[in-house]
Amino acid sequence: MSLLALESEQDKTGDVRGWMPVTPFTSTPDGMARLATVAMLVDALGGMRSITASDPDWAFTADMSIHLLPAGPTELLQADLHVRRRGRRTLVIEAELLADDERPAGSALLTFAVVPRPEHLVNITIDMTPGRRKMNANSTHEKLEMSYLDELELRVSQPGIASIELRPAVCNTVGALHGAIHASLVDEASASLARSFFDGGAVTTDMHLAYLDLGRVGPLVATATAIGGPSGGRLTASVDVHDGNGALVSTATTEVVAL
Amino acid sequence: MSGFGSPADIGVAQYLLMMIEEIGDGTAALPHTVGHFPGTPNTLDADGRLGTDLLTCIIDSIGGMTSGLASLPDWIVTTNLMIRRAPDALTGAHGTGELTLNTHVLRRGRSAVVTRVEVTDLNGSAVATSWMSCAILTPANGPPAFNRPVKPIERDVPDDPIFAAPTHEFFNLSASDTPGVVHLSIEQRLRNPWGILHGGSSAVALDAAARSLVVGRSTVEPTPEAIVTDLAVHYLSPGRVGPIVATATSAGRSGPDHLVRVEVRDQGAEDRLMALAMTTVHQLD
Repeated sequence: MSLLALESEQDKTGDVRGWMPVTPFTSTPDGMARLATVAMLVDALGGMRSITASDPDWAFTADMSIHLLPAGPTELLQADLHVRRRGRRTLVIEAELLADDERPAGSALLTFAVVPRPEHLVNITIDMTPGRRKMNANSTHEKLEMSYLDELELRVSQPGIASIELRPAVCNTVGALHGAIHASLVDEASASLARSFFDGGAVTTDMHLAYLDLGRVGPLVATATAIGGPSGGRLTASVDVHDGNGALVSTATTEVVAL
Repeated sequence: MSGFGSPADIGVAQYLLMMIEEIGDGTAALPHTVGHFPGTPNTLDADGRLGTDLLTCIIDSIGGMTSGLASLPDWIVTTNLMIRRAPDALTGAHGTGELTLNTHVLRRGRSAVVTRVEVTDLNGSAVATSWMSCAILTPANGPPAFNRPVKPIERDVPDDPIFAAPTHEFFNLSASDTPGVVHLSIEQRLRNPWGILHGGSSAVALDAAARSLVVGRSTVEPTPEAIVTDLAVHYLSPGRVGPIVATATSAGRSGPDHLVRVEVRDQGAEDRLMALAMTTVHQLD
């Protein structure tokens, strides 16, 4: 999160707005934010929004759906998050994406499972006062100096197969693979599969991702399979992420478009 | 609730006539079922292709039932459902006619089930892939009765011509004056055994609203020039009263693909938001 220099602002109603600078290290070849980075933005903001929405309980991301639009070369991506339902056991949050404060860039829908607040989080203090701020203090001195996926040390062994070792930089607070890094695996597994079909490159534009289990054992491996064949410069894929024990920890479907 | 109680009570199942069989001896913790959708002329388009409206219905039906089997002695309600159609099966011969739905429960947790449904045509060509999440609950009158493993049920179809009608007539849809707005009046045949609107009915209404918006016509009838290729629907509350109103708005486009947001509300229940969906509507050449 620190490397993406995310910023957030929460208003008095609890709704959240956030921003992510788009750089050559985080963008697609056509200058838009890569889906992997958008997933980190909406996951981080969604988690923040869920704290007040689920209070006094807690919420974990259960699934995430992202649709990206061709917003053109972008310098700053903005996300506005709103709670659409707070039930006893689920929380649904919608995010609207805006490029450079003016162009629609897509949307996201997230479902959270609402659970009793875990013991170790009962007394946690979170600064929810209004105001724009960095989401991670390390962002002031940490900067990406290579592609985001290279920084994550995410590897593609063959078209459709992406993997990552489990190490602190890619883990969440319970030592499992961070939810947004699942999305990075899904993004690159899908895009690499599509690149084997399309000569000029490919970009993942849509993703529906369901979290099934914590990925606590590395390496985590994403395997993308085409659903039918490509048509009109588009490919649909199904992607499964397995942990080092072979357990299925997340599943997704994606759409990838040729550049 | 994805309903599979007494066949006599489920009008949507009687309309779709999908046969479902459980694979194995019925003791698997994560059940596996296979559905066979026959595809009657009134449910298919002129090319013999099933629209995403009814595709969502049959996926919700088999996915809900299979998720429910994983949850016994409790049962489930569908909370969200994601579908993607294969891009090479939107036109031409691929993906037409009878369909097979291969359904696996991927995870059965304490409070939720995630299930995958893969849809192929009779040649084995991919038509669509889907996953859905269901919340586990304890129904007041117990779960539907099943003999395990589940065997196909021969459903008695009521002697009523509405069960042979086109989709928009069976689901009681009507267009408003504005493209992108569709009304559904609740009839008994559209309810599930728990008395609430069948989840597939919401999907039919929102699919029609999204297509109507993109083609720019106030219509609930088939639109040969546009098809929903991708759907992410979140079921937020049950439909009980009606009329149900699906309202589509454009979120942007990428060439022939329109990103459409759809809200489905129960106007008779204080306009409560029942479902929220993002869909991609593809304009065909």
